[in-house]
Amino acid sequence: MFYDLNVPWAAQDRELQRTIAFLDELGYNVVALNHTLSGKLPGDLTCPIPQTPDFPVPPSMRILRRCTLTLHDPSQNHRISTLSANYDILALRPTDEKTLKQACESADCDIVSIDMTQRLSYYFKFKMLSQAIERGARIEICYGPSILAKDSLARRNVISNVIQLIRATRGRGIIISSGATNALGCRAPWDVINLTTVWGLSQERGKEALSTESRNLVAFAQLKRNSYRGAVNVVYGGERPKPQTTLPLVSKGSKQQQNNKRKVDADSGSTDNPISKREKKRREKQARLEAMPIQPERQEGEADS
Amino acid sequence: MVRIKNRYLLINFLYPTPSKASAKEPLPDVVYFQQPSSDALTPQFLIRLIRDGILEMYGEYGAGAVGSGLKVNYLSAATSTAIIRAPRNHYRLVWGALSFITKLPAPVSQQCVIRVVRVSGTIRKSEDEVIRRAKETIMKAQTAAKLIGRDAGAQLQQVVNQPTPRLQDSEGIEDDDTNEEDDEMEDVGEKIER
Repeated sequence: MFYDLNVPWAAQDRELQRTIAFLDELGYNVVALNHTLSGKLPGDLTCPIPQTPDFPVPPSMRILRRCTLTLHDPSQNHRISTLSANYDILALRPTDEKTLKQACESADCDIVSIDMTQRLSYYFKFKMLSQAIERGARIEICYGPSILAKDSLARRNVISNVIQLIRATRGRGIIISSGATNALGCRAPWDVINLTTVWGLSQERGKEALSTESRNLVAFAQLKRNSYRGAVNVVYGGERPKPQTTLPLVSKGSKQQQNNKRKVDADSGSTDNPISKREKKRREKQARLEAMPIQPERQEGEADS
Repeated sequence: MVRIKNRYLLINFLYPTPSKASAKEPLPDVVYFQQPSSDALTPQFLIRLIRDGILEMYGEYGAGAVGSGLKVNYLSAATSTAIIRAPRNHYRLVWGALSFITKLPAPVSQQCVIRVVRVSGTIRKSEDEVIRRAKETIMKAQTAAKLIGRDAGAQLQQVVNQPTPRLQDSEGIEDDDTNEEDDEMEDVGEKIER
């Protein structure tokens, strides 16, 4: 199972169907459509992405809905919890160190997604990032922009930032996603793992980032939204069984017949028993007789030895 | 005996954007992603493409490290597959450079995604894989084409709505023999995906 948790979504996007079909061809199983919000939150926070897309989706593909909120000002987002309830996954995109600190330490989010194509004016600190990971959030690397980048500067920034991030997190709590606007920027899972191996993440960690870590994130996000305090979830309420109606006559008759049959069987079984007592004695006798000729042989054998 | 150790990369060219000819008639996605490459895709062309990619990504160091070990062992434009030999110590550089290719340049000039399907120590295993994959692709394309063939929209919608996998759904259309083969291919495919 491979996960790609960042496929940009836009209303009336014709490319999207092809991108999803291409991701299926590449071997991904779960895809999250990403809706990006920035600046002030609008009044209506309901998710514009339809629950099931209006185009045919490959049968093995599961589609999630994700929202990415760009943080400019640490004081503006007190409605994050209502926003996160409307989507499957909530990601925060900090723009500077202050907002990164907020996203890691206090804000209630699933993914911390940093724009890697920019040159960052700060260093990643293990303490800050590990706090986010401990709280259940994951840090995202988007490889798409580096592949689609026209200028080499953006690509250079992505590589430099990813190496910094891998160093700061020591390879833990990272997820990798495409973030590619069209199918051309997507790569097969193992190609991505190789890329991150070149950038300094070990192969096992790379594979975990695409499969296990992402799966954990999705499961945890779901648990956060549906369960009681993120700990208890009612999967099956144990519905009360319907009161049984009286059986129709035909079946009753057949049941009686069955009973009769069983009785007969039981009787025949019981009649066997008294005979077997006699039989038992006879068999015992026979066994003794048969054993007789063997016994002397054994004795002979013992005498010889 | 001391040998020079190599890795053989089995690669697959995928074309995410449909060509103008195929845009007119509805083709299943599988078919146009794995469409045949143009005849201008020759071994020399491919080698030059990879060399340029490595030079761009890893500079003189990468170009030198990979340098003499790079070779195209097999290239089939019809199935869009190729086997590339790379030195074992630096095969990840070649692979990385392949991942960053988004376009085949001038004589072909087509948008393209290169996927590495298998990394192998001997060429024999990669050849087996080529054959296996070619069969699998044909099976996939056939089932997809049958679904498209009748009434494209309705059929696909039917598949989407049903939770059963695609191959089981097409049981009614195909005869028994091909169906069994399909199931086998599906099994193998799952193994590889892991």
